[in-house]
Amino acid sequence: MALAATFLGNARSRLLPASIPFRFFGAAVAFHLLAWLALLAGAAAAPSFAGGLGLPLAALHLVTLGVLVMTAIGASLQLLPVATRQAVGSPRAMAALWWCYVPGVALLTTAMALAQPWLLAAGAAVVVLALIGYALLLARNLLAAKGMALVVVHGWAALASLGVLLVSGLSLAADYHGHGIIDRASALGLHVAFAGYGFMALLVLGFSYILIPMFALSESPAQRPAWASVAAAVSALVLAAMAAFGTQPAALWPAAIGLGLAALGVHVALMVRAQRSGMRPKLGRPFVLVRIGWAGLAASLMAALALALDARFARLASLFGVLLIGALLSLLLGMLSRIVPFLASMHAAGGKRGPPLPSALTAERPLAVHFGCHLTALALLLAAVAFDSAGLAQAAGAVGAAGALAFARFFMLACQRMQAVPALVPPPVATRRV
Amino acid sequence: MNAEPATRRWRDGQGEHIDVRGLPPPQPLVAILRLVHEQGLAGGAVIVHHDRDPALLYPELAERGWWAERVDCAPGEVRLRLSRST
Repeated sequence: MALAATFLGNARSRLLPASIPFRFFGAAVAFHLLAWLALLAGAAAAPSFAGGLGLPLAALHLVTLGVLVMTAIGASLQLLPVATRQAVGSPRAMAALWWCYVPGVALLTTAMALAQPWLLAAGAAVVVLALIGYALLLARNLLAAKGMALVVVHGWAALASLGVLLVSGLSLAADYHGHGIIDRASALGLHVAFAGYGFMALLVLGFSYILIPMFALSESPAQRPAWASVAAAVSALVLAAMAAFGTQPAALWPAAIGLGLAALGVHVALMVRAQRSGMRPKLGRPFVLVRIGWAGLAASLMAALALALDARFARLASLFGVLLIGALLSLLLGMLSRIVPFLASMHAAGGKRGPPLPSALTAERPLAVHFGCHLTALALLLAAVAFDSAGLAQAAGAVGAAGALAFARFFMLACQRMQAVPALVPPPVATRRV
Repeated sequence: MNAEPATRRWRDGQGEHIDVRGLPPPQPLVAILRLVHEQGLAGGAVIVHHDRDPALLYPELAERGWWAERVDCAPGEVRLRLSRST
């Protein structure tokens, strides 16, 4: 047994230190709570929100930058070496990234909430600096990638999207001082399309080709349709960029959305098949959230199509935003509630009894509370937009905050249980002959 | 795009061998766990020939009541002996 324990110690030493992914996940958990609280405080303006400084914009960016991008960074730092067989960077560089990004997001969202353009410019500059650092780590890793070309191509497409969203985001921030480098409407179109469907969705879709088969214990999805899916997604983004800059928007927006729907449809079909054919087809509540996320992404594209076709509904832009952000949030929280206990098990020492079981490191009750609150809050928010009701938005904020607290409890329990496992005393011999 | 190496399996006195070198993740994990499941029914050890430390494998083994120990092998290979926890 001591031999096994030693070997597991060696395996762990090749993982990132637990503090790296867990600090990003921990920050995401905290920003998740703050996002719902910001919605609660800014509920009066939320249902008809269509841009502009204030609490709804702060709530939106607490979710996008604080939860979605934060989780994506933490997960990609841990998962990329698995896919590309290359280290992403030194733990010190990753810790520095966290120390730059987290205060940047805090400053930026505070400035948005207080409607302070100069503070906002400073916060945006820090966030952009941190994301450039992340982009460099990502690019260096992808350049040296060995194998898993499908995941690598998703990574490159996400990286290119990150570039577009940073430039468009900076332009939008500078526009509050009259110095936008891109026309505001174009910058907004680019920012939304490349943040939601470019950077975030492509990263999630790419990593899903590892994560879903890994959790379901199934064969890898068929390669040819998977390549067709990513090709359609990238083509959709190119068309969206052209449309955002005013090239035949009436034709190109619907075409981009149609390609996006096709890409998503193929991806979801592959993932569902992988899940059903695996040794562990039942993946529990977290994967209900993942499935809701997929459905929400499709619904957001339908709302985007209605926007492109000038459908008559006053709060369509708000509805689109809630569907897109709600979908991505459901997807990522579903994935995170599976990843955290699994990672905690890999990082926990385990002593002579081997690593602790992932099931012993999770906490079903807080996850169940979060599941109920999350879905209720999203439904309330959709109803708030549909009926232009500040009261429903307020209720969504309160229920969402309760769910975020439950998710924070789950995360803290996993961390505590991981640290509670007794540390190893390394025996002198690590291997044996058989 | 589909020219991935196949899993090789053979049996000798040490147990059932499986060579998953060159397979993309998570295929090594899936192939090993399928074999562990088979061996769990039949009894006996599994010898894994891998090209890296399969960090994702250990929690899955623990869930199934199995454990791993490292075996001496040539540089560039990671060889594990998997057996049921006693």
